[in-house]
Order: sequence, then structure tokens, then C-alpha cells
Amino acid sequence: MLKIKHLYFSYDKKEILKNIDLQLTGGIGCLLGPNGAGKSTLLKCIAGILNPRAGEIQLNGKDVEKLDFKERAKFVSYAPQEFSVNFPYTVFEIVLMGRNPHINILEGPKKDDVEETKKAIQTLKLAKFENIPFTSLSGGEKRLTLIARALSQNGQLMLFDEPTSFLDFRNQLIVLTVINKIAKRFKKLVLVSLHDPNLALSFCDKVFLLKEGTILKNGNTDEVITEENIDLLYSLKSRLVKLGNKRFIIPEKLL
Amino acid sequence: MKKFLTLYILVFIGSLFAGRLLLNPLHFSTLSKTILLDVRLPRIIIASLAGAGLSLAGLAFQNLFRNYLAGPNIVGASSGAAFGAVLAILFFSFNPLYIQLSSFIFGIIAVTIAYKMSKLVGNGIVGLLLAGIAVSALFTSMVGMAKYMADPYDKLPTIVFWLLGSFSGMRWKDLLFLLFPISIGITGIVLLRWPFNILSLGDSEAKSLGLNVNIYRKVIIVLAALSVSSATAIGGIIGWIGLVSPHIARLLVGYDNRRLVPASAFVGATLLLFCDDIARSIAATELPISVITSLIGAPLLILILARRFKYVKN
Repeated sequence: MLKIKHLYFSYDKKEILKNIDLQLTGGIGCLLGPNGAGKSTLLKCIAGILNPRAGEIQLNGKDVEKLDFKERAKFVSYAPQEFSVNFPYTVFEIVLMGRNPHINILEGPKKDDVEETKKAIQTLKLAKFENIPFTSLSGGEKRLTLIARALSQNGQLMLFDEPTSFLDFRNQLIVLTVINKIAKRFKKLVLVSLHDPNLALSFCDKVFLLKEGTILKNGNTDEVITEENIDLLYSLKSRLVKLGNKRFIIPEKLL
Repeated sequence: MKKFLTLYILVFIGSLFAGRLLLNPLHFSTLSKTILLDVRLPRIIIASLAGAGLSLAGLAFQNLFRNYLAGPNIVGASSGAAFGAVLAILFFSFNPLYIQLSSFIFGIIAVTIAYKMSKLVGNGIVGLLLAGIAVSALFTSMVGMAKYMADPYDKLPTIVFWLLGSFSGMRWKDLLFLLFPISIGITGIVLLRWPFNILSLGDSEAKSLGLNVNIYRKVIIVLAALSVSSATAIGGIIGWIGLVSPHIARLLVGYDNRRLVPASAFVGATLLLFCDDIARSIAATELPISVITSLIGAPLLILILARRFKYVKN
């Protein structure tokens, strides 16, 4: 269980996150909100890349803020929104780097690290790309490689920062289906940030609406994604439609 | 890695016999024994260590700055060392020990200044890059000033020759000076080859993968500074080895630092040793080493980049 209490974060004087309270007990949670709402910042705080000014982040009752980098990375996997490598490491090498928190720095990866890496690559069906430079992959393949890395890192909590950004219609579906599968099969706690409320409706169990650094609403997806809440979140007029047993939200006009 | 070792050993053995005095392995006179054991052997070992140290420092900075064009001088180590040497030449009568000591100390000082200043001008690695460029320029200009003020008949030729680099006249006692700092540098970098991969992904990535970036960055800068400063102190300014060797190694073993680090060490050692052989045997007098390393290094780099470009295009 992920529990965040009274979390504050600021860059110098500018306050980005204000009194964030968040609880995720299982399944896939989704941060939804406009650009600049603080979604990425919140994920980076949880991943330990940024240091919050105040507040607590607990994972299964353990205070992750108090752990050192290495210990923390054993519990929290993180895949960034933008990932640029300057050196053309192969897919295998990138996924192997996910094992870092389990590796002795001076000894380097061992046999079981290589095995875990192979397993993660198999799970994501990336075996044919194993020895291909990461830099030559397509956007969708890159995302899948990063998910494989998060899997080989094997954190109980997995954070994906906008895993669908820059992806085509089909690849968005592929990526979220894979994340969903991993969450169920390996019983991981997953927190993603998304831009499309419709993707949240089809894939996420819980939604946190984030606006200007505070959590507007949170709860089960169907309860939170309503016309009223979405209008408030994005400052527009939307309409919720039902198609069969699925629900979609469509933007109608700007306010 | 066996291939690299074999190639190195071949060049090593060849180096023993390279030179103006031809040695007949079947007829060893006392003179040839002296030349072999007291002149050539220490020089070969020193050139190898310096080559390995420079190459590893170059590779370390390329990973740290995530940039192919980073060389050993990127945080000012060589410029500082050059200034230290020039200072010693100006103020003391020509004494190799003083020159080496002063050069080494100023190399470390330059890196320390760059590191301290980096916090003022930017975040993390960008700050270090900017500060490094500034410190490097500062020491280079002071070297220029010293050259301008130096006695043109007595001191200036020494300074110019030193700045072009040379391993001429190296004996076992010079190795003693070099051995300690450069061994720490080389061994440290070789031991830290795995975290190089993680560091080369950038700060945020490395942190989220559980690496304490600040500590490792500091340690690696210290190790690289030790290598560059001691190599420069002993051999003068040696260009191109630190930049080109990691590129050659990449072509041969790929990008994973677990293989790339030892490969770069061997390539650097082999390449500098080979260049030094040319420097001491091609002409009637010794040629400065930097002349040879640039002459060989620059075309090599173009060749490598052309090959990579072709690979990227396809």
C-alpha cells in the first residue's frame, strides 16, 4: 500500500505540490490533470529523484523517505516520460540496468541478474530486439523497453510517467494493456500519469485528479471521472456518453 | 579482452627492440642490457600507464558528461598541470622532480576549483562543464603569460618542449613518482565500470535506479583527476589519447562499460606506447609525443566517426 501524507514540494520559492494526500491500496492508480499540475513532480518525489519539502511517503508502512537511494530503488521502479540515452546501449543492456539496486556496485551484474533481465524481456516480448541499440527503436518499442526495465528492477511499486505520450493509437493500447497485465500477474502496485481520461476509464482502478499542485478529487475511476469533475479539472465543458457498458468522456467546448 | 592483452604484449615486446640502437637478442652486451632494462623498459611502462590513465579519464568524463567529445582536460586537469609545470620551470632550475610535483599539484588544484565553482554556475553536470571550461581557459592563459615572460634562450625552449609532451629520459625513479597516483586512478575506474553505465543515463535516471549520484560523481572526478594530473606531470601535455582511445574501444567491444572500460585501458596503453615508439625511433632526435599522437589520433578519429556515421545512416 502506498500512502502519502501532507506532501509539499517547491522549486526555490515556487510551490509545486501543496498538501498532497494520497492512498493507493492495490491495482492501477492514475494521476490525471492538466499540463503543469505537478503529476511528474509527484512521481519524481515518490521515486526519490526530487526531495519533498515536507510530508511522508510510506510503502507498506515503511517510510521510503528515510531509505537510501539503493534500498529505495528496490521498492520503487520508475519509468520517466522522456528517456534519452546518449550512448546506443542495446535493449538488453538497458533492461539489465534496471537490476542496479540489486547489484553490488563493484562486482557488477551476476547470473541471476542476467536471468531476471531475460525474463523481463520475454514478458514484454522484446526478445528479437535484445541486441539492437535502444536508440534505433520506435517510440512504442522504447516504451516497452522501459517497462521491461521497471519490471527487472522489480519494485513493489511501479511508477510510469505518461507512458502513452508520443505514441500512436494502437501503441497506447498496447502499453497500457501490458502495464495492466504486469500489475495483475505480478501483483504490483502501479501509479501512472495520463492525459486522456478515456484511457483512465478503461485501464485504471483509482483516479487522482491533480490541479495546481493539489488533489481535487480521488476515488474509484467511475465515481471520479464525471462531467462535473472533468469540467472543473480542465476548465472546459465535457459530456459523458455510454456505449454498451463502456463510458467515454468527450470535450465539447472551452469555457 | 584476451585479444587486447595479446596486442598490447606484442607492442610491448616490439617496443623493447624499437629505437635507434638495434639490439641483437642473441648477443647481449652490457650496454644493450643497460639500454633495455634501464632506459627502454621503464619508459615503456610509464608510457603504458600514462596511456591507460588518460584513456580511462577520457572515458570517465565521456560517461559523466554524457558526451562523446569530453576529453581528459574537460574539467581543467591538463591545463592546471601545464601551468604547474611551467611555474616550476620558471622559478626553479630545471629539476624534473619539482616540475612533476608542481604539475601534479596544480592539476588537482584546477579540478578542485572547477568542482567548487560548478555549484555557483549551474546544476550538476552542466555547472561542472561550464566551470571546467572557464578554469581550463584561465590556466591556459596563465601558461601563455608565463611563456611570454620566460627567458627566450634558457627557459622558453624547455617550456615549449614540455608542453608538447615527451617521455624522453624516463627512468625507474620517474615511475616511482607516477605509480602511486595513477594506479589509484586506473584501479578505481576499472572497479567502478558497472556504475558508469548507470551514471551515463543522467542524474534523474541514476537516482531512480538507486545510485547515489553525488558521491559516485565526486569519486570518479577524483580518480580521473589523479590519472590525468599524474600522466601529465610525468609526460607533459599528451593530446588525443584520452579522446580517441575510448572511441576505438567502442568500435571493438560496444558501449557496455563492463567491457568498454578494460578495453579502453588496453587501447590507450597500446596506442600511446606505439606513438612513443615512433617518437623515439623515427628521426635522429626525439620528437615530441603530442605531435605524433595528434598526427595519428586525428585521422583515426575521422575514420571512426565516418564508420559510425555510415552505421547510423544504414
